[in-house]
Amino acid sequence: MSESSASTSKNVLVVDDNAINRRLASAFLARLGYATDQAEDGPSALAKLENGRFDIVFLDISMPGMSGEEVLAKLRTDSRFNGLYVIAYTAHALPEEKQHLIDAGFDDLLIKPITMKAVEAVLPPR
Amino acid sequence: MTTIRRLGQRCPRRVRRTGEGMGLKRWMVGIRGKLIAIFVIIKVLPLLLLALLAWSMAQRLGDTVSLQASTMAESMLATIKQVGEAATGDAIKALDDRAREAIERLTTDTARSVAAFLYDRDSDVLQAAQVEPGEATYRSFLQHRTRTLHRHGEWKLSDDGTRWEPAAPAGWDEALAASPQQALIDNAKSFSARPPEYIGRPEIRPLFVEMTFVDTRGRERVKVGADGLMSRELRDVSDASQTFLKAERYWPELQKLKPGEIYVSEVIGAYVGSRVVGAYLPASAKKAGVEFKPEESAYAGTENPVGKRFRGIVRWATPVVRGGKITGYVTLALDHDHIREFTDHISPTDSRYSSINDAIVGNYAFMWDHRSRAISHPRDYFIPGYDPKTGEPVTPWLDQSLYEAWQASGKPSREFLETVTPFDAQSLKKKPAGAQVKAGTVGLDCRYLNFSPQCAGWNQLTEKGGSGSFVIFFSGLWKLTTAAAIPYYTGQYGLTQRGFGFITIGANVDDFHRAATDSATRIGLTIAEMDKAFQGQRQGLRDDIASNLAQTAGALTLSTLVMVVLVIIVAIWMAQFITRRITTMIDGLGRFQAGELSYRLEVRSSDEMGQLAQSFNSMADEVQLSFKRSEEARSRAEEANKLKSDFLASMSHELRTPLNGILGYSELLQLELEDPAQQEFAATIHSSGQHLLDIVNDVLDLAKVEAGRMELKPVEQDIARLAADLVSAHRAHAQAKGLAIELTLADGLPASVMIDAQRVRQILNNLLNNAIKFTENGRIDLRVSIKGARMALAVSDTGPGISPEGLGVIFERFRQLDRFITRDHGGTGLGLTLARELAHLLEGDLVVESRLGEGSTFTLFIPLREPHP
Repeated sequence: MSESSASTSKNVLVVDDNAINRRLASAFLARLGYATDQAEDGPSALAKLENGRFDIVFLDISMPGMSGEEVLAKLRTDSRFNGLYVIAYTAHALPEEKQHLIDAGFDDLLIKPITMKAVEAVLPPR
Repeated sequence: MTTIRRLGQRCPRRVRRTGEGMGLKRWMVGIRGKLIAIFVIIKVLPLLLLALLAWSMAQRLGDTVSLQASTMAESMLATIKQVGEAATGDAIKALDDRAREAIERLTTDTARSVAAFLYDRDSDVLQAAQVEPGEATYRSFLQHRTRTLHRHGEWKLSDDGTRWEPAAPAGWDEALAASPQQALIDNAKSFSARPPEYIGRPEIRPLFVEMTFVDTRGRERVKVGADGLMSRELRDVSDASQTFLKAERYWPELQKLKPGEIYVSEVIGAYVGSRVVGAYLPASAKKAGVEFKPEESAYAGTENPVGKRFRGIVRWATPVVRGGKITGYVTLALDHDHIREFTDHISPTDSRYSSINDAIVGNYAFMWDHRSRAISHPRDYFIPGYDPKTGEPVTPWLDQSLYEAWQASGKPSREFLETVTPFDAQSLKKKPAGAQVKAGTVGLDCRYLNFSPQCAGWNQLTEKGGSGSFVIFFSGLWKLTTAAAIPYYTGQYGLTQRGFGFITIGANVDDFHRAATDSATRIGLTIAEMDKAFQGQRQGLRDDIASNLAQTAGALTLSTLVMVVLVIIVAIWMAQFITRRITTMIDGLGRFQAGELSYRLEVRSSDEMGQLAQSFNSMADEVQLSFKRSEEARSRAEEANKLKSDFLASMSHELRTPLNGILGYSELLQLELEDPAQQEFAATIHSSGQHLLDIVNDVLDLAKVEAGRMELKPVEQDIARLAADLVSAHRAHAQAKGLAIELTLADGLPASVMIDAQRVRQILNNLLNNAIKFTENGRIDLRVSIKGARMALAVSDTGPGISPEGLGVIFERFRQLDRFITRDHGGTGLGLTLARELAHLLEGDLVVESRLGEGSTFTLFIPLREPHP
């Protein structure tokens, strides 16, 4: 499945200020056959998104400078990013926190710690 | 937070219950209404009662006054009537008495005058006896023996023929009366003056119509006459047929006379009849069936002033003695008119005298002889005379029965009447003989006039020479009738005490008490007027009283209404005054309850209300203070809670972030590493990380439950399905250890219940995990049943069981029974604590039963709530 999917892989931008978590998610995605790129904060993520072509964003919430929600807000107000699938990639696991994120407009939530299964589950169908 | 919400909920609810709208209204009809009602009862009721009392008193007063007034008026009227009647009665009686007295006196005086006149005639005859018989001497004797008679003037029938009237006026000349105006002051009182009395035209008439000398053989030797009544021839008077009217029977009597003795005859005259009794008028004549010839019928005063008069004589005689020897007898025939003159002009009325008698009114005098035969009467036909043809007296007027008896006897009347008892049962009930009226012979002889009882009365009064009177209703009139004997006792008239006869005067009673009856009538009229006036006054009084009462009623009603309105206004004002303090207080309480905790009542007085306000204020102070404290406590708790939540959230975040790397890379390692030993290491790292994550999750859950931030989400749930899913989820795990796992559902479970399925699942998962974890042999059972109002979900195992000490601490956090268990079975040490907290959060409980070596049963009790249909 991963082999066949590679050729038609979607581009995923993983945004997280924590390098370990950024690389972990990229590793998981890579194993699942997704092409990934990484950004370590909101502004660089936005810059990458503007310049590159991404289908999916794994967006951390608690980031210094610009939070994931602020990034999402910018994405959602920009018509160029219509159809961009944004997944919150966060350690905020409390139910009210999760509800807050859903309300903010994320397409799905990926709660840390992640498993391969969980990553597979949040990814939209190819 | 729960406390705050509960407080917040309670306040508005209480406010709503006792809030202003409804509460005030209840106060309105409550105290204020009652106060007003009390005021009205204690003020208005007495007021109304007073008004009612006043009204009824006024009405009673009015009634009493009206009644008294009418009673007074009636009694006054009655008194006046009585007095009037008494006065009138007295006056009538006095007048009657006086009149009777006067008339009786007049009767007696007349009788005495007649007697004196007759005695004078005795003297005349005695003087005549001294005169030498001879025409010249006799003529000379008679020449000066005259007397004036009075005759009324000419009368004629009225033009319409209904009455007789004087042909020329005659009578009183009022102008001749003395003038009362000219009377001296001293004489002016009751100055009564009358003109000269008029009794007719004077006419000088000889007393005697005849003077004779009769010799001792009964032959008339000298005869001198005054008018043509008597025969001029000298006759033999011993022969009755040669006497006047063949009726004189005096010769036998003369022979009995001794010298100086006097013979006096009865009244002898020719009877003049009338076939009309009463007014002789064309109509009455026609009615009687006779031709109207008043001149041929008897004279009857005003009833027939042109009629034929009765002419009669009374003869006196006495012996003429010469030389002691009776040589003859001298006789004097008195013209009967002179006797009648005594009664013809008497009128027992104000007029006193009359020139003509008016028989019909009953006021006249008449005369009877010693045998009670009429010798003077206004109606000449009532004087029984003689029949000139036979010399016999005409039959007197009899009553019907006596007349019939006479007719039956076949005897001549004189003979028959000698056999009859005089004055026999005389009565007004007897009827006069109609046949005699028709025959025109109605002379009155009182002895046989049995339909006229006054005859017996007169007889009774005069038979012993006395006089008197009585009143009798006769011919439709109440008449006073008197009788007085004429005290003349010469000759045959001396045989009885009655003497010559008697005078009677009849008088209409009404006439002489006319003044009294007039005044009675006047009094009656006055009384009627007074009665009318009284009635008017009484009605006026009643009207006045009624209008007064109406005014009183109006004023009373108005004043009562005004007072009532005033009292009600005062009552409302007072009630408001009193209740205003209460309502003010209620308003204050309402504002306080609505949350205006700083509101305080104004303490205006030191009375109960003031104390109440004060108590409220101090209570409000405390409430406000405690609210402030609880508010502070709440904010502190909220702050602490927030800190705790923030801490939990950040701890969760901060722990998960490194765990992400540990778990993620250990998983990746397991996938990447080829060497099973290395794989084992990676798995250990992953497992340790997973355990740490479990602890973190449990701690977070527990913290959330304790912080009250775990919110329940009850949903409709098929409890059997839930239990079945749980059992099948754990079956693989159990079977892997060789354990049996079974679900038992009690009968009567509801199809669905309202539960927070996630939490129930969490608790049961925990319990099932534990059961499988700690049981090496045997079985695991999940039983679902109903215990009263709760549902019981019991997880039993055949594990090692828990010691009694263990049971006491098993739900405490991080109390794992021993290290071995922890190490071998990997519990977080928070599972049961969290399960129990969750059970409590579900308003349920989690209890444990266990025997060491036999197994344990954990039972979750949760309220049985069936979904509302």
